[in-house]
Amino acid sequence: MSEELIPHIKQMIIDALRIEGMSADEIDSDAPLFGEGLGLDSIDALQLVVAMEKEFGVVVPDAATGTKVFASVRAMSAYIAEHRK
Amino acid sequence: MTLWLFPGQPLTPEPAVPDDDDFYAINELCRERCGFDLSHHLPLSGHNLSNHTCLQIYGVAMSLYRARRLRGTGITPDLIAEHSLGIYAALAAAGCLEEGAVLELVCGIGSAMATAFTGRQYALGCPIGLPVGPVESAARNNGVFVANYNTSRHFLLAGETSGIEAALGECLAAGAFSASHFPCEAPLHTPLLAELSTELTAIVAGYRFREPLVPLLEHINQTRLTSAAIPAFLVDELLQPVWWEKSWKVLRAKGFSRCSEVGSGQALTKFNRWIDSESTD
Repeated sequence: MSEELIPHIKQMIIDALRIEGMSADEIDSDAPLFGEGLGLDSIDALQLVVAMEKEFGVVVPDAATGTKVFASVRAMSAYIAEHRK
Repeated sequence: MTLWLFPGQPLTPEPAVPDDDDFYAINELCRERCGFDLSHHLPLSGHNLSNHTCLQIYGVAMSLYRARRLRGTGITPDLIAEHSLGIYAALAAAGCLEEGAVLELVCGIGSAMATAFTGRQYALGCPIGLPVGPVESAARNNGVFVANYNTSRHFLLAGETSGIEAALGECLAAGAFSASHFPCEAPLHTPLLAELSTELTAIVAGYRFREPLVPLLEHINQTRLTSAAIPAFLVDELLQPVWWEKSWKVLRAKGFSRCSEVGSGQALTKFNRWIDSESTD
């Protein structure tokens, strides 16, 4: 179930963060989103929180939860699958 | 229309330095006018520059460098805007002051602030995710100030470290998504800087500013700066908050075909993305 979400999540990341010159296929499902990997920061994190709520109806309540959820695209998909209404 | 945006102070230097003639030229200006080595991010021997002053010089220098690179590809601005420390490189881009003078000026102001507030503990706090009301309330309750209104959910607080820590605790309790803080040498963009305004005015008075060749929009009232208004603005802006969300909305309403963030990092681009996303919801 969570595997099926991965392409959708990657496109959401590209759209929400307006990442130019990168396709969904180029995002590594297991790479860290923050620091190394995509190099996202706390401003990006809030943008992703809002996008996840809008797209999937899933809430990330705080940064501590966000640290785990945004560990990778695969971690995001597992969280969404678990909390989706 | 091409818009250039000059960002505020970066939190840290970039991990790598460029390797080209423009960078070497800016580095040489940093060495001559500030006693600062941009390549190694260190003061030269015999120059007593604080860490924060070094970071301020670095931020301005990287903006000057990126402006040179853009001009080198044939891109020139039709309109310039700035956030906080970005005013210095913006002045150079608008033709109001030479690059070397801009670096010397930011070095002088940074050093004055570092010296004046020695022995006191100040910090910047960054609550993310709360609307303005609870953030202003937390600041007021703890004797600190909102220094940057960046977006509807991104703010910067400034003040004494203990007050910043308490205000951020209140923000988290009120539901902020995250809250982080960083030490700083002076309470930037707050009325606490007023005790230094005479000295800052004297530093700025040592420079003659030319009329901007390109319209330059300032971050307090979103008006076009004139040469006559620049000296007072340079002091006043240190005592007042940065109104970036308002600035971006004014810029967006003017319309532009190309927008470049001219400096280290992408903070303004990310703030603008957030502001734009709210206006299209």
